[in-house]
Amino acid sequence: MTAVDRLLSQHRPGGQRLRVLSASGQLGYGIPKESFERGLARQPDLIGCDMGSIDPGPYYLGSGQMAAPAAMVRRDLELVLCAARRLDVPLIIGSAGTAGARPHLQATLSVLRQVAQAHDLSLKVATVCSDVPLPVMLGALQDGRLKPLDEGAAGSPLALPQPEQLQAAAHIVAQCGTQTFVRALEQRPDVLIAGRSCDTAIFAALPLMLGYPEALALHMAKIIECTSLCCIPGGRDAMLAELGMDDFILESMNPLLHATPASVAAHALYEQADPWCVDEPEGTLDLRQARYEAIDAHRTRVSGACFVPRAQPTLKVEGAARLGARTVLLAGVADPTLIAQLPAVLQAVGQRVRSLLPGPWQMVEHVYGQGAVRPLPPEQRSAHEVALMLEFLAPDASLARTAAAVFKQTLLHWSYPGRLSTGGNLAFAITPSEIDAHDSYRFVLYHLLEGVDPESVFGIDLLHWHGAQA
Amino acid sequence: MLASAATLRSLARVVRSKNAGPLCLSLDLFFLDEQAYARAVSSPALSVASVAALYGFPPEQVRRFDLPHLFAIKLTLPRRLCAGDPGDGDVYGAQQHAPLLELAL
Repeated sequence: MTAVDRLLSQHRPGGQRLRVLSASGQLGYGIPKESFERGLARQPDLIGCDMGSIDPGPYYLGSGQMAAPAAMVRRDLELVLCAARRLDVPLIIGSAGTAGARPHLQATLSVLRQVAQAHDLSLKVATVCSDVPLPVMLGALQDGRLKPLDEGAAGSPLALPQPEQLQAAAHIVAQCGTQTFVRALEQRPDVLIAGRSCDTAIFAALPLMLGYPEALALHMAKIIECTSLCCIPGGRDAMLAELGMDDFILESMNPLLHATPASVAAHALYEQADPWCVDEPEGTLDLRQARYEAIDAHRTRVSGACFVPRAQPTLKVEGAARLGARTVLLAGVADPTLIAQLPAVLQAVGQRVRSLLPGPWQMVEHVYGQGAVRPLPPEQRSAHEVALMLEFLAPDASLARTAAAVFKQTLLHWSYPGRLSTGGNLAFAITPSEIDAHDSYRFVLYHLLEGVDPESVFGIDLLHWHGAQA
Repeated sequence: MLASAATLRSLARVVRSKNAGPLCLSLDLFFLDEQAYARAVSSPALSVASVAALYGFPPEQVRRFDLPHLFAIKLTLPRRLCAGDPGDGDVYGAQQHAPLLELAL
């Protein structure tokens, strides 16, 4: 009997509350162990972890690399897998390996497998692959079933892609929803590990299968996927939700972090365009009638959310394409005369370097102190010290490196009107000051995919792992 | 009584920005108390038109939500560049709150 078998056959809604433990909102960055262990002492019925996000940018989706460091991913996976097997409860992990494309899922599975072998654990692992087949995307684009996600689409920074942009994308994934998790859990695994996922699916799918109300399960999931971030003060410690048929109770497993009605309600604003409505593949969670009541200084009871199902599921799709290899040049400038004419100098140096080094390289400027983070009015720009972070992009690393090095040396000794500092124009904190900075990617897709059957997109597998056997 | 030209930072306990997806920026303002919130809600400096102008967007691309039970105002704006595009200086959108801090409410 697997952990999911056991939960589905033994738990009855309406009896004891379902205890859902959220162990991590960013698996791989170090789960605070003491709080997690306090959560385990509460005998949770399931353990869930979110492992990914689109927030860290297009590099991870494009390259297939994880954002979290490998050693910490291993440490966290070991912590949650061993705990889940010891308690014999389901372990559910969403958005494997940061961006949740096939390489991320494979890498996460491979570490999980190593942990299982090291601890001689036998288990069944269900997997969900979130990569969208290219023909599905091309068909949707042709039929007009690919829609912009930003409503004020005029002047959107991300236009609908051309077919060749879809073909050139390194990876295209869709966020799978609760229904896809349910299908995977119907395989009755001990562990479910999914590629790109809605955060809510991780925690809502098993409650739904058990018969808990969809709105409650989704609202609970939406809050606890960030662990204790909904508390005051916020934190990354494990969060426990105790789900009933009419409400759920939130409790941080760190006694110093308190879930108050205000802190939990305020969390609905976090990273959401609309504080009242949360769009899911299967419908919209409406929080306007949600109620938050203090049980004591540490715990809050939540109820009242509504769920409005959608006739046909829609999927958020994400895709990233490679722009090129990247070298960055880091340097400081402290001469006020040069700072005052920096834009013109950078342009002139760029032209000189272009004449020395023709080819498909480009430079992207970030001039800190002059509005690199946001546009700065002239009176707020730094006159006495600025930092240059110049990106050089090219199809291959050798050209990017060459452009950076030639630009550096040309700028170092560039003459400009009023120049007194003939020793050099740049202050280097480190040499070499040109640094290979991975490949550069950009998003080509962050859109809504309509009119597809999720079953035709998300591939589900069941793996049987037998203890220490390789 | 509040001073006649209190800044937003003196009336708020949280002033934050963050992406809501790679195309959208969310500004969340949590005020100290009911009085500070009331002042913010009615201040012309935080009207959709003013905030749109401050960030360089047409007003129809900015949405504002007033949340009296939380003493909070939320503003949702487009991002000028998709997160991580060449030239973007704030992939998470976490430092775009700064122009709000010194607004006189």
